[in-house]
Amino acid sequence: MIAIRKRWVVATALLVALLSFPPQWYPRPLRVQSAAWFGASDYRSLPESEAMIDDVVEEACPVDASGWREERVIEDIRIRRSPTCLVDNPYAVAAFVRGTNNVSQQVLLESGLTPDAVEKGRDLDGDGDPDEIHIRLEVTELNGSSPELDLPVTQFSIAPGITPGLWVFSPKALGMATENFESLTAQTLLRLPSPAIRIEQGDRVQITLENTHYMPHTLHFHGVDHAYRDANGEGNDGVPITSEIPVLPGNARTYELQPRVAGTTFYHCHVQPHVHVTMGLQGLFVVEENRPNNWVQTLNVGSGHVRAPSRAVAERFDREYDLHYLDLDGDLSSRIQRFNDPRLITKSMHRQYDVTDATSDYFTLNGRSFPYTFREALVVARPDERIKLRVVNGGPSGIALHTHGHKVTVTHRDGVEAEPAARVTRDVVWIAAAQRVDLALDTTNDGLHSYGSGVWLFHDHQSRGVTTDGIGPGGHISAIVYEEYLEENGWPRTSGVPWGPYFTEAYYRKERPIWASYAPGLFSDTGVDVWLVARLTVLGLATGVIVAAAFSGLRRRGAE
Amino acid sequence: MTAAAGGHRLARAPATAALLIILAQASGLTRAQTDDPGASGAAPRAAEHGQHRPQEAAPDHAHSLSLDGAGAVMNENAGTLPRDCAEVSRDQEITVYAGREFAAEFPGNTFGLSQHEYYVEPCSRITVTFVNNDDVRHQWMVHGLPRYLYPTGMFHIEAAGGHSRTGTFIVPSDHRTYLVHCDMPQHMERGMKAQLKVGRGSGDLWSIPGVSGDFERDSYLPRGITLWFLLAVLSGAAIFSLLTYRRGGLTLPGGARRHGVRSDREA
Repeated sequence: MIAIRKRWVVATALLVALLSFPPQWYPRPLRVQSAAWFGASDYRSLPESEAMIDDVVEEACPVDASGWREERVIEDIRIRRSPTCLVDNPYAVAAFVRGTNNVSQQVLLESGLTPDAVEKGRDLDGDGDPDEIHIRLEVTELNGSSPELDLPVTQFSIAPGITPGLWVFSPKALGMATENFESLTAQTLLRLPSPAIRIEQGDRVQITLENTHYMPHTLHFHGVDHAYRDANGEGNDGVPITSEIPVLPGNARTYELQPRVAGTTFYHCHVQPHVHVTMGLQGLFVVEENRPNNWVQTLNVGSGHVRAPSRAVAERFDREYDLHYLDLDGDLSSRIQRFNDPRLITKSMHRQYDVTDATSDYFTLNGRSFPYTFREALVVARPDERIKLRVVNGGPSGIALHTHGHKVTVTHRDGVEAEPAARVTRDVVWIAAAQRVDLALDTTNDGLHSYGSGVWLFHDHQSRGVTTDGIGPGGHISAIVYEEYLEENGWPRTSGVPWGPYFTEAYYRKERPIWASYAPGLFSDTGVDVWLVARLTVLGLATGVIVAAAFSGLRRRGAE
Repeated sequence: MTAAAGGHRLARAPATAALLIILAQASGLTRAQTDDPGASGAAPRAAEHGQHRPQEAAPDHAHSLSLDGAGAVMNENAGTLPRDCAEVSRDQEITVYAGREFAAEFPGNTFGLSQHEYYVEPCSRITVTFVNNDDVRHQWMVHGLPRYLYPTGMFHIEAAGGHSRTGTFIVPSDHRTYLVHCDMPQHMERGMKAQLKVGRGSGDLWSIPGVSGDFERDSYLPRGITLWFLLAVLSGAAIFSLLTYRRGGLTLPGGARRHGVRSDREA
């Protein structure tokens, strides 16, 4: 009796399973045959588009409450107007030009620097500017871990919600590392990239690395004229395998140099460089030509617009920008966020991480990725100007830098001036890893150098560089923006798609459809095929019944 | 405006932050770190994280600051009494040494202080001499003091490498635990965290070396732990089988005897 009932149950379950099996999953020949017999199936609407989600949208351009963008004179130093949305602290600029030991207490406090951050001494050649320069750099970890929070601390977002772990050289800044005690956001002097260093040709320069970090580091001057040994006969090259023991946490070391040749050079940490350089311990090093009364801006925090350019640059150019490109590997940078114990961190970074298997995920220009690049990493221009761009590629692979609307002239490579006949003008400039190029951007609307005013992008034309972990637009996309296209607040007046979606974290978490903001419905995410889910549920139930029946049959047979 | 997308960014309160607020309140972390509950401390910092205010108005000039090559003392107060104190109860002096050498006794720490816990009396006047044995800057920063007396609730000593600075402040009368730390990036996280207990204090903060544990403790597990765990599971199962399937059934604590399934069938 029981056996018969079970047989019927199994038969019914088999029938239900067959009927509920999704028709589109049957083998194609079977479906073709069935179509020949029964014709086309009935119309059943495809799932509706999913409704747009109202995301939290960041303010694209925060208000300049402190008036930092305007031109001003501080301590007799003319700080040029910087028209982008976010700019550097002009008091820090003034302190970097004068020397933190030469400014008033008021300016020093406004700058946020310690009195010895950049000390300027005697005028050795009697030409009206100081030639003894002592720079002190610390090592700052951004977006690091904490034994209390599962959030990155001393935060620096390269794009909405993107906070890769970073190590940077930073100027000696007084007081708190964050904006205030209630905030986790790093204060403005602590950021990616490490500051561009600027000195004058022939200056007697001391650079003290004060290692405030929990790992060993050094300073290596790449392409900068420096002696292999310092005056005391100690290593001065920053290379652990040939020059010196690295600077341990809490210790300091002073490097000495007196560069004889001007040019755009580079500096970086040389401890486990395949890891430390990629983590952000690298910066531009600019040796300016010697001129009388030439007070240079010793540090350019975050690179970008040089608000107090040197005499030589001011003679020939209307504006000067430092552009620092850096690729980051999320797999590497997240390792400082996974552990608290430096012993575990160093094992993970220096032994388990394999750079030969590495791929870059984040692409930054002056420490930011799109859309944040539009806040502060723009090149602002007016028609008929000449603009100097000092570009360094700090990433592990080359950059094919393409300028929309302009052809730029390569005047220098690796700090060495090209012969006039050898100066090429082009719209794609190849920059190898660690290479520097000086570009002259001419905004004369002649159909060659410039096609006129506008908001013209510039970016690596290799596809990865214009994405953030594969989501575009992202990466180091920035723009040459003519002032007539700048809003009062410094935001470019664009006529393209709305900016809102790019200022949401969800977009860069890959959770939002790309074109939904201006073609709602057409390219939205799809809803769920409820009918198919129901069929699969029934199929699952029927299968379960069949499997259970089969097992019980087997067990009974075993028992007998 | 065509460019800027509308809408101010609200404080994002991810689930993790909410959890931390609850945990922090339960553990007295918030209470210990701030004078107005909920306005400060580690948890609210988490809740407000990501707010972008890069060009905040110029630094708070209400701070009093003594700054020189040896360091700085901020918001020093040797004379003004907190509202709830009739007089200075006692003068207390603390000398704190800072540097890598003081981390040696705490595995996994890089930076340390000679003392990570300080006991003072309510309304006492405390003179701290902060001696920096390293070659880089360090800080001894107290948070959560009354804001009417100490701008942003902070008393702060910063000593340049190889230097020492001395500063004085007066604590209020309530029994509370205050956070003391070096705010340089990763210095608190790597060991430069301490607590100042006024009177009985108000509990311990997390991650004070030698005093309290880490809320986010790393896992220190050997290689092959998965296999080891599976072996433990199998051993547990084997022990259970041995006990229950023994002839005569399982002996339970107290001497009661219970028959296994198999014994029932046999019976």
